[in-house]
Amino acid sequence: MMTTSSIGYIPSDHEAEKASNSYLMSLIAVIAGLPLPIINLIATVIFYLGNRKGTYFVRWHCTQALLSQFSLLIINTNGFWWTIGILFRDGEVTNQYIAYMITVFLFNLVEFIATIYTAIQVRKGKHVEWWFYGDLTNMICKK
Amino acid sequence: MLKPLLQFGVIAASFFLIWFGLDRIDWMTIFQVEKTTKNIEEKLGDLYWDILKKIDDEITDKNVISPVDSLITRICDRNDINRDKIKLHVVENGEVNAFALPDYHLVVFSGLIEECENEAELCGIIAHELAHLEKGHIMQKLVKEVGLSVLLSMTSGNGNPEIIRQAVKVLTSSAYDRKLETEADLAGADYMIRAGIDPEAFAQFMFRMSENEKGLPDQLFWISTHPGSEQRTRAILDYIKDREFTEEIVLDSLQWISLKENSANH
Repeated sequence: MMTTSSIGYIPSDHEAEKASNSYLMSLIAVIAGLPLPIINLIATVIFYLGNRKGTYFVRWHCTQALLSQFSLLIINTNGFWWTIGILFRDGEVTNQYIAYMITVFLFNLVEFIATIYTAIQVRKGKHVEWWFYGDLTNMICKK
Repeated sequence: MLKPLLQFGVIAASFFLIWFGLDRIDWMTIFQVEKTTKNIEEKLGDLYWDILKKIDDEITDKNVISPVDSLITRICDRNDINRDKIKLHVVENGEVNAFALPDYHLVVFSGLIEECENEAELCGIIAHELAHLEKGHIMQKLVKEVGLSVLLSMTSGNGNPEIIRQAVKVLTSSAYDRKLETEADLAGADYMIRAGIDPEAFAQFMFRMSENEKGLPDQLFWISTHPGSEQRTRAILDYIKDREFTEEIVLDSLQWISLKENSANH
């Protein structure tokens, strides 16, 4: 699901730190943003905007961190509004709802672990590409 | 471009497959969702009733309870509502009011019995409150207006007395939102038709109360907490316009008069 490849040069320590921070930003946002899923995205977007003119290594990882938030945003937002519906409208807790929330939790957990792993590797200057998001980032982010 | 699209398809498909797979497991039983919900409702219902019975005396006179009980039993039996779960409390209070509390506590004020001109009017209010109970409106309203965390702290015995007082006020003297009221009105009318009780009487009662409201605002609690009575009266009349039903009286005229007199004597 993840590959470590080369980007053609060895990033400096300063670059590695910035690129790694883009993943940490999404982690901090996960903690601060719960239960409002949109905050994750806003935090990574702000970090992305601040670094979009940085070096290729920094830009690339900011983009991957940002893109990885989108799919989570969709499923988390759906879970959020479903919960609101149960609490404040005429919805009720169903088996389907519990199964959905467990699935959402599993996907968030996988993303959480992957993000920590990637942040550590990127801090070491390694270029980690995620499955799907890596390809998408390669299409968006040009040298 | 095709590769990321396919990859996205795989991610989406895996999400739905995991969701579908997990949905096969009976989480409701594993997490004891229904039992936990019922426990919370039971505790809240008891807590509410404990507070209310300190404010007003409960009437235990059989001459009052039995006739009201007969009316409730008729509505329940004809509408597949489990009568045993309803905890009826007739309370000595001159206000024209009735309300439902969590865990199927149904509180009827003696003032309401005195104000009703016939059993069908009283049945209308009871059927309306039963509809709130059956459709789960009580907990919905409490969660919406009091908040889940406050309710949970109340059930654990850590509730702030002022907050508890406010929470009691929410159920006893404020309306549900319009959508829930309409739903309860129409469901209540259905209950009455199936029970062989004239649903028009409920509409008439509401209309009469809304007319009287200007003169006696403090006493007509039920109607002042159920706004838009004129529109609701019309909505009920429209709803029952072409419905056929056979009237079957529950209490004869002597029993009805006796109920009113006994209720007034308290």
